[in-house]
Amino acid sequence: MDESARWRLLQSDWYSPRRLHDSPVRYDFPGDRFIPNRSLMDLDRAHGLLTNRTAPFNATSSFNEAYRQKLIENLTLDSQGRPFKIMVFRGSPKSSQKPIRFVDELRQEVASIFDNDCKQTPYRCIPKGEKRVLDAPKLRNDYYANIMSWGKNNILAVALGPELYLWNSEDQRVHKLLQVPGGNDWPTSVTWSEDARTLAVGYMCSSLQLWDVESSKLIRNLEGHSGRIASTAWNGRILTSGSRDKSIINHDVRAANNLASCIKRHADEVCGLKWSTEGNRLASGGNENLLYIWEASKMSSSKFLHRLSDHCAAVKALAWCPYQYNVLASGGGLSDGCIKIWNTQKGVCINSIETKAQICGLEWNRHHKEILSGHGYSIRENQNKLCLWKYPSMTKVGELGNHKSRIINLCQSPDGLTVISAGADETLRFWDVFGPPTAGNLMVSDLQGLLSFRTSVLR
Amino acid sequence: MASRSVAKDIITLRGSAAIVSEFFGYAANSILYNRGVYPEESFAKVKKYGLPMLLTQDEGVKSFISNLTAQLSEWLEAGKLQRVVLVIMSKASNEVLERWNFSIETDGEVVEKGVSREKSDKEIMREIQAIMRQIASSITYLPCLDEPFSCPHTSFGHGSSSSAGGFIVSLPLDVLFTGVFDVLAYTDTDVAVPFTWIESDPKLIANPQMVKLHSFDTKIHKVDTLVSYKNDEWDEQ
Repeated sequence: MDESARWRLLQSDWYSPRRLHDSPVRYDFPGDRFIPNRSLMDLDRAHGLLTNRTAPFNATSSFNEAYRQKLIENLTLDSQGRPFKIMVFRGSPKSSQKPIRFVDELRQEVASIFDNDCKQTPYRCIPKGEKRVLDAPKLRNDYYANIMSWGKNNILAVALGPELYLWNSEDQRVHKLLQVPGGNDWPTSVTWSEDARTLAVGYMCSSLQLWDVESSKLIRNLEGHSGRIASTAWNGRILTSGSRDKSIINHDVRAANNLASCIKRHADEVCGLKWSTEGNRLASGGNENLLYIWEASKMSSSKFLHRLSDHCAAVKALAWCPYQYNVLASGGGLSDGCIKIWNTQKGVCINSIETKAQICGLEWNRHHKEILSGHGYSIRENQNKLCLWKYPSMTKVGELGNHKSRIINLCQSPDGLTVISAGADETLRFWDVFGPPTAGNLMVSDLQGLLSFRTSVLR
Repeated sequence: MASRSVAKDIITLRGSAAIVSEFFGYAANSILYNRGVYPEESFAKVKKYGLPMLLTQDEGVKSFISNLTAQLSEWLEAGKLQRVVLVIMSKASNEVLERWNFSIETDGEVVEKGVSREKSDKEIMREIQAIMRQIASSITYLPCLDEPFSCPHTSFGHGSSSSAGGFIVSLPLDVLFTGVFDVLAYTDTDVAVPFTWIESDPKLIANPQMVKLHSFDTKIHKVDTLVSYKNDEWDEQ
């Protein structure tokens, strides 16, 4: 460039406004308007990570102990080089509404020392042990069978292997009703009719029989199924049976041609069947994890009220709520382990609790708003136990159970105070868990009741 | 003359510890409310720091926080507390979703010699107020915690939350987040682990997003607030 041109440049500089050459505006904080504070960012490391192309480090721990100690010491130094240690607070339970789990039990023991003013809702005493144990030899360890039923006549009918026994709960007498000859057939489902005059027995080889218990005589043989009958339910004079042949048959037991309707909807064995208390709805649970709700007046293979597919395992446990007429509780098998509460009017799941164990039976407490669940196999908790849940909050009130192996069936006494659990350990255990029946309950202090309760679990 | 100091207030070590632990109690309540860890109905409004602050009415949570702050106060007076972290985890997967980190710098001279400092109470309250406002407005950029429902949310980036005046975001906080929270304390190594605490891992988040909030200083303890959270899938472009 020649001299004159350079001169011209310099001259033009004089006319440029001074503020363009000023230093940029200073902000109050170090950083920019995008990230107000960059002190957190390790820009060198970030750059390194972005541009580094070396393969990931293969960390095989072949370090010796001394080196590892050194590492630990250094890793517990914070950014300023100060050593520190980390503690987590385990002082008291974080919510008085949380269900009591094993982990929280330890916390609560400590909390009881601290919490002098925590609200103590008085609760009734739940028995730790069973009232009675009956020996049940040859009881079949079959999840799908429903081999117990306690009728309004106070007689418990239970199928042990190929034999069916009647146990009178008033005088404890035992009477053998029937024995299936051969060796390849046995009862798989037993249900008393509502007036407890007839006993319906479904068999492995697909036969369905009606017995009159007064005279110990077989009244009728009902045909229709081609697979074992694992579940039956009475609705007045209709007996509904569900079978491994995937069909549900409604039998009219007074008509000569008993087949009222045959429903083929399930894709696998029908393992749970329950009519609602009013008799207008039927809930059927299948081994294909589906739960169907049917309307009594319009039941056919294509006409169902709801198809509920929330469960991830067989739906065997079904129980209709005695105080809310549209509410149904269902329990899933091993891979599911959830108790789900449904509004069958809308077909919506109101609540779902994970119990992490196979659920084989559900019984509602008619005297207090609770539901009891019986459990079988489990990977984690609640194995072989009976769990009591408060309704509708579904918080766990407690658990019982001394069964040595999984519980297969649950059934409730006609007065609604006792529950029997049939276990694969060949015992029938009676639990007085639903009482007392009146409103004037024995008020035991909350913590007292639970503390004594917990020690039995920790055993 | 009134016995209260005029203009500048004297702060003792004990007073400062009380201020910081009380701050933590209110901040924890605010976080539990704003992040939906407990249902809204279980909180009640009180006036504190010149703001309507929400405190839980659940007896269990109340006693948990009060026992916690009592212990923190003790450690603060001894000058042994380095930081307090409130961790929010998913109940289902036990994965850490959020970490609210409060780092504490203690003036060693005050702990050793027992001197006191001067700072106006009002000033401290103003600083705390700013932090509380930031916690409340953090919901504008923190990812939704409710599960299994996925709620649509817009992320406003890391901008200073005080500029959030023009944004109106409604998040479905009536959906209860089924999560748990834990409180970690980082202390000096010579502190004995008390009965109600156990040694723990730091419960870190892998590749977190971090936002630094305001800090406050009592001239004896300086508290910095930082929230780090798990990267939401929505953010990854």
